[in-house]
Amino acid sequence: MTTLGIGIQVAAMLVGGAYVLAVADRLIGGSGSNVRSAFSYPVKRLSFLMLQPVTTTERPDLAAWILAPSLLLGLAAVGAVSIPIGGPSPGGDIPAGLVLFGAAMLIVLVAVFIFGWAPNSVLPMIGGYRFAAMVLSIGIPFSLVVLTTAIPAESLSVGTIVESQSSLWYLLVQPLGLPIYLITAAAIAFWGPFDLPEGTDLAGGIVAEASGARLAMWRFARAALMVTLSLMGAAVFLGGYLGPVLPGWLWTVIKTAVLLILLALTGRTMARIRVQRFVWFGWVVLLPLALVDVFVSGWVAL
Amino acid sequence: MNPGLLSYFLVSAFGIGAVVSGWLVFRTDSMLRAAYWLMVSFVAVGAMLVVLDAQFLGLILILMMSGEMTIMAIFMIMFMMNPAGLNPMTMVHQHRTSMVAGVGSFLVLAWVGVVAEFPDRPAPAVDPTAALGEELLGRSMLIFESAGVALLAVMIGAIALAAKRGRFGDADAGSVEPEIDVDTGSRT
Repeated sequence: MTTLGIGIQVAAMLVGGAYVLAVADRLIGGSGSNVRSAFSYPVKRLSFLMLQPVTTTERPDLAAWILAPSLLLGLAAVGAVSIPIGGPSPGGDIPAGLVLFGAAMLIVLVAVFIFGWAPNSVLPMIGGYRFAAMVLSIGIPFSLVVLTTAIPAESLSVGTIVESQSSLWYLLVQPLGLPIYLITAAAIAFWGPFDLPEGTDLAGGIVAEASGARLAMWRFARAALMVTLSLMGAAVFLGGYLGPVLPGWLWTVIKTAVLLILLALTGRTMARIRVQRFVWFGWVVLLPLALVDVFVSGWVAL
Repeated sequence: MNPGLLSYFLVSAFGIGAVVSGWLVFRTDSMLRAAYWLMVSFVAVGAMLVVLDAQFLGLILILMMSGEMTIMAIFMIMFMMNPAGLNPMTMVHQHRTSMVAGVGSFLVLAWVGVVAEFPDRPAPAVDPTAALGEELLGRSMLIFESAGVALLAVMIGAIALAAKRGRFGDADAGSVEPEIDVDTGSRT
């Protein structure tokens, strides 16, 4: 497939997935909204934000503040490039695609930290520090569970990992993988119940000073990041495009949408925990479990 | 444009980017900006490696940098007691020593670049994962195994430290809201 084709495919997945996520989130969490208004809600909200004037703060780092949402969106797109959507790509895919994805997802830390730091305002900055504490605690388990799927597939290419699941999904081969992946992915996308950097106790945290088009861009970039994380979860744990009867791309869309709706559901229904407790959870619970996942998968593969 | 010319162009562009962002590290007036310009410089070097067909190495370099640079920035800000890192401050000191060190190391590296004989055979087309496995368990086994065991020990040590009961109570002490005494209405 041509570079342009892959670009259009990724853009369509990110925009479509962001819409699905916004509608699901509205249906689950929006109070007093009927079904029809939930489907038009993302468009209305976008129009509202685009018409809103962009406020500023005293002596912000304006360049960093404007560019951070674009960096976040760019990272979501880069992470999605290595994932085959409709079937095995004829030109072969990126040999170290899984590492490319991991690198893009860990630089999210930089984008969020800068977005919180740039307004020169105290609450967004605390939100940025919170995010740094969270990501540094779950970065290792996140990388470990993603990379563990490369052990039975004997390849770091996402296409090969999908192909190697033709008999059995890695959801069943590595039962610890998907739960740890979803928890850490929700934290990396600062999605509920781990939306502590944007917590209401910080009056919005990293977005406390953001408004208008800048906030709209940031919201879209975060939704695109959720889509990329769900795409990768569907590819490495749920068999990606593999499935009977329906065409491959439709299976990818269905599996990604299922993960997105699941994340929207847990994000709205589970209780928030404090950052200190989350850091403890990351180091004491998730990291050992991820190591167990690596050891067991390695042992099974031998 | 043929692939050889394209990669020549890309390597040059990323190389210039790495040098310029490395120079900007010392031209900014804030520790956070300096740390992240340094990260941009490293990412450009990683991109050069990717273009030069060392995909895995380049991507791992980029992967490591985001966390490292943020930790470095946080520690610098803590030690400088400049909580946001936003107050302007100069990023250069010890001018004479650093100038001598900078020019000296540039000359040494340039000399190596000019004098050393680099192999010009094209990289063999093998699966990078297989090549990496051969390298890890082949001639570099001792280095990688000792580094790997050391890193695993560090991870287990970090878990032990994080999970340990300390003199201030449980590891997660203070992260849970104290319960409210219903009779008095105060926190116990």
